[in-house]
Amino acid sequence: MANGKNPKSSDRPIRVLLAKPAIDGHDRGVYVLARAFRDAGMEVIYPGLLPTPEEIIRIAIDEDVDVIAISLLNGSHVTIFKKVMELLKKNRVQGIAVVGGGIIPDADKPRLEKMGVSGNYGPGTPMSEIIAHIRKRAGEARSKRW
Amino acid sequence: MVTQSNSRAKALAEGLRRGDRASIARCISMAEDRPEEFSELISGIYDPKKMPRVIGVTGPPGCGKSTLISQIAPLLSASGHRLGIIAIDASSPFTGGSFLGNRIRMEGTISSGDIFMRSIATRGTKGGLTASIMGALITLSCAGFDLVIVESVGAGQADVDILDISSTVLLVLAPGLGDEIQAMKAGTMEIADIFVVNKADLPGADQSKRAIMAYLSTMQGRTPKKLASTSCTTKGGIKELVGLIKEHEDQVDTGPFIERAFKTEVNRIAKEILSKRVDELSGNESGNLSSMLKSGIDPYSAAVKLLGRAKRL
Repeated sequence: MANGKNPKSSDRPIRVLLAKPAIDGHDRGVYVLARAFRDAGMEVIYPGLLPTPEEIIRIAIDEDVDVIAISLLNGSHVTIFKKVMELLKKNRVQGIAVVGGGIIPDADKPRLEKMGVSGNYGPGTPMSEIIAHIRKRAGEARSKRW
Repeated sequence: MVTQSNSRAKALAEGLRRGDRASIARCISMAEDRPEEFSELISGIYDPKKMPRVIGVTGPPGCGKSTLISQIAPLLSASGHRLGIIAIDASSPFTGGSFLGNRIRMEGTISSGDIFMRSIATRGTKGGLTASIMGALITLSCAGFDLVIVESVGAGQADVDILDISSTVLLVLAPGLGDEIQAMKAGTMEIADIFVVNKADLPGADQSKRAIMAYLSTMQGRTPKKLASTSCTTKGGIKELVGLIKEHEDQVDTGPFIERAFKTEVNRIAKEILSKRVDELSGNESGNLSSMLKSGIDPYSAAVKLLGRAKRL
């Protein structure tokens, strides 16, 4: 803004879409994350179980989120995270960061990183580490969006 | 900077007219986060004749508002409306964070993509709505939406702001919330056009209906209030409720509701601008209050004097 009175983008709560984008009904952990993100001052959108990658993209666009945090415990992370990233590209979505987590073998992490899914945290990761990472990625995403 | 935000505003307005979802979403964010930037956009997209009808859905937390909306939305959308949904959830007064969970109930029926749905957190606004609600409605109107369901945050007796923006107000209640004495109380019970006893498959639904009917029989308003009973488990009463909403929308005189919404929004924005201005003028940096203190002026006269200066925006 010309007069410099505009609130800084950092004043705005980070918006996170938390999702399990495949056949995976283990939602206990996602609730723990949702609560922790909320308590860290974020606006957390949780659309319930079993959204498809297509639905995740639509929701992320409609809700104008900074970060999509996807978690899978069922072993399909490489296939499904890849699909999410492809759809983001196909829909020419810019400025939304993707962060992953779940039961992810170390061997898979470089592949996920390469496709743009960072973090990829497993059980036992301190919540503060995940939150710090989301804040960092959200900041990067926002600077691309605005 | 001016040209940059101007060209962005122009691109967003064009996106809105095309019905581009990302543009709609970005504009609503702007109304939430960057009201001053939004104010540059709004003059280009506001058209009072295009403002959507608003079905305001309010009621206490847990009475089934989101689930009920998930049931009526597809029917309203199928009857030829371009339908938007704005669902409001509470922000934490301690951290500012929010858990926006309305989609959990709605995803199943809105996933076709015809309906635009957005979750908004209250961010400190009281009264059941958000400061950005009119901005969001104006945005949707520009993108061609003619009907919007606004779900208030889980409301208490005195959260009646939904009345300011709605052409039809639904008050959703559930069995077991109270007897006819509760129904007599002022506040939300007075603003509803349609009372909905939801979860009507649960015991106690008949008592709740009777209590509301008794209350309605004592009312002397000009527009008769209606009562529906619904169950999202058995799907009972949903079609009838949609019928009642359409009937009310056909009968309602939209003049007063457009006027109310406009006046409330102008009042809100004016207060916001004035409040910021007063903060600037009374801040330590300005030195205004320090010099007033030295002059020996009383606090009341000082405040009036400060407001005099605030006029020069």
